[in-house]
Amino acid sequence: MTEVGAYAGKLALVTGSRRGVGRVIAEHFLHYGGRVVGFARGEATITHPKYAHFQVDVGDPAAVQKGFAELRKITDAVHILVNNAAVLTSQYAMIMPPAAAQAMLSTNLMGPFMVSREASKMMRKAKWGRIINIGSMAASLEPIGDSMYAACKAGLTTLTNVMAKELAPLNITCNTLAVSAIKTDMLAQLPQDKIAQVIASLPIPRFAEPDDILNVLDFLASERSSYITAQTIYLGGVN
Amino acid sequence: MLDKKSVQAIILQALSNINDERGADEQIQICLDMRLFGTDAVLDSLSLVSVIVDVEAAISDVSGRDISLTDDRAMSQAVSPFAGVSTLTDYILLLLSEAA
Repeated sequence: MTEVGAYAGKLALVTGSRRGVGRVIAEHFLHYGGRVVGFARGEATITHPKYAHFQVDVGDPAAVQKGFAELRKITDAVHILVNNAAVLTSQYAMIMPPAAAQAMLSTNLMGPFMVSREASKMMRKAKWGRIINIGSMAASLEPIGDSMYAACKAGLTTLTNVMAKELAPLNITCNTLAVSAIKTDMLAQLPQDKIAQVIASLPIPRFAEPDDILNVLDFLASERSSYITAQTIYLGGVN
Repeated sequence: MLDKKSVQAIILQALSNINDERGADEQIQICLDMRLFGTDAVLDSLSLVSVIVDVEAAISDVSGRDISLTDDRAMSQAVSPFAGVSTLTDYILLLLSEAA
């Protein structure tokens, strides 16, 4: 159970904070006393005195740098970064529109790289930071139709692990929280029979609940995980 | 526009920041002719990265201009901008003169 005020004095940057897992995470940090900055393409969906929203397309490197320039006007510290923003188009590779594949590459891989790049510069000053990249069971299960999405999420794990080595001397940890299927707008895009098949194949055959994610998130964002970096934690028994 | 002395001061401050993070027995000797990169350099790779990040940020803060010290052009200079404080100063002044 998360302690009251667990995130007091901490600023968390959450990408894709408008909805789904990102919104759940942002609201969790806020509920437990943290300040949250959200990066998302659309307008804010969270209203809270400790929430600041910036309309940033993380797939656009120039937009990310501009977003950080704006962010630095309101704070000089980012303690926790959750790279959650992602887009998904599921389709056989032979008929996947190249633009959709490129969008996944830009948002799901280049986005976390750019946001981590800029956030780690801010974390460096404080010699403390937690970078938590939201991965996916798709990286391990490699489902049909998810060639580019799964590749991006597998790449995200490698990105995380390399950055973990680079940033360890600065007391910044980098880990991947690879979520299994959770009922979100993104999941609703997929054929329901395909989802049911995937769920049935999991060692723990059920959808992930927000608490399943938040329990691990709390650990990775806390001081207790200071000796844990370059790790991928899968939910639901995926490995 | 920033002059040579101001740019040098920014670089020296970035180097001083490195010392702030080091123990008394790990301090580096900061001077204008010190080597930043290469065989005789006193900075490890992460320290050099920190200097670059601090210098880029300070140049942006003071001049309002964003410069990149690590793009392809920087890496393909006949004389590396990171050979020493003076070469880095010259390269920054070159970038600033073009941006203006």
